[in-house]
Amino acid sequence: MAARLAEEWFAICGGCEVTILDIGEPLLDLLEKVQIVHMPVLMDHKLYGQTGEKAEMEIPEAEVGLISGGIRSDEHKLLAQEMRRKCKTLIALGSCACYGGVPALANLCSTEELLTKVYRESVTTDRNGFPHEEIPALTDRVYAVSEVVKIDLMLPGCPTTPEMVAGALNALLEGRPFTLSTKSVCDECPTIREKKATSTLRRRLEGPTFTPGAPLNQMRCLMEQGFLCNGPATRSGCGGSEGTPRCIRAYMPCEGCFGPISEKANPMVDMMGALSTIGLDPKQIPDRAATFNRFSGAGRLRPAPKR
Amino acid sequence: MGLAAEQEFEPIILALACNWCSYTGADLAGISRCQYPANVRIIRVMCSGMVHPNLVIDALTKGADGVVMCGCHPGDCHYQDGNLKAARRAEAITLMLQDFGIEEERFKLAWVSASEGPQFAKLMTEFTDQIKRLGPSPYKS
Repeated sequence: MAARLAEEWFAICGGCEVTILDIGEPLLDLLEKVQIVHMPVLMDHKLYGQTGEKAEMEIPEAEVGLISGGIRSDEHKLLAQEMRRKCKTLIALGSCACYGGVPALANLCSTEELLTKVYRESVTTDRNGFPHEEIPALTDRVYAVSEVVKIDLMLPGCPTTPEMVAGALNALLEGRPFTLSTKSVCDECPTIREKKATSTLRRRLEGPTFTPGAPLNQMRCLMEQGFLCNGPATRSGCGGSEGTPRCIRAYMPCEGCFGPISEKANPMVDMMGALSTIGLDPKQIPDRAATFNRFSGAGRLRPAPKR
Repeated sequence: MGLAAEQEFEPIILALACNWCSYTGADLAGISRCQYPANVRIIRVMCSGMVHPNLVIDALTKGADGVVMCGCHPGDCHYQDGNLKAARRAEAITLMLQDFGIEEERFKLAWVSASEGPQFAKLMTEFTDQIKRLGPSPYKS
């Protein structure tokens, strides 16, 4: 019997759902093993029954549940709890579900400030009241799914990698264990490191020095060339079986989309350490909190104290 | 929680005192019967230079309302330049506090020598008053 799969999306762009599609040919084999019972992005399955006849929202029972996106409204919270009740194994898909992702940058300001900016103060907006009819209330901040319900497995990344999604689902279906890397991106980065910066911090558009076509292990570490790279405080694994991190392959510094190396890690402190070790000045970065927590704001970012 | 409870805010203050000067200074304050608030919890470290910024951030995000880092006066360090390292780390800590949304006044670096018992008591009294005025750490709510 095929395993049933339910998927739900919250505060997310939909990129992680595209990643499922990006699995490519192995997806055909995978689809034979699973039966999708609920997936709003793909199929029409109403929460209150097809004609809205049910009094309570309902998600069908499933062996595997995927949740993408962080929790931003009361509706997301209820849906996450319903998913937890109905799914035997619950997987957080993508950095938004795991750590809040880019939407969690909103945690740098209060919900009040956020609404005022968006609906009142923004110059391109007609000054209207806040929307309130027939929409779920916003939560006080963006939460990672794991802050609301218990999560069995996290698949970080923005978006996560097709290889990892397929690997995790296949491992789960075959009863094999699946674990995330506990190394940092730097551990898998082949570039040359001499522990000394050759330049002060530079803007990314200045472009790093490298020989096109030459292997990456002949390029100097991007951070040491002066380009801010979140590699030291970011979990590795984006390179998949190839090993080399995705962004480095494109001669770009790591954005940090795989989130912190462990749940307890503090990317802000780690990155400050990494910067000063090679002689770069963290004061040059205009918005350190957001830069170092671009994908892991849930529970890590908070508004500045009122004076 | 009424008004009375608010008035009775007793901050938790962590003092990281170096083994050679500041902890001995704190000892002297005790031997000399200098009075200072009981809000201060002292942890002895071998050198102020060994206090990783992570420890200060951890303390302030997990229950402490203020952190004082005490070391020997510049030039007096038992390990030659540990306190200068501490001074550089203090700069980084101040930056991190901004990023974490914590008031900079909650952290202080101070030099206390082994003979400065009364000064240690004065420092702790002043710092405790300062934190009492600031109120509880934003991470407590």
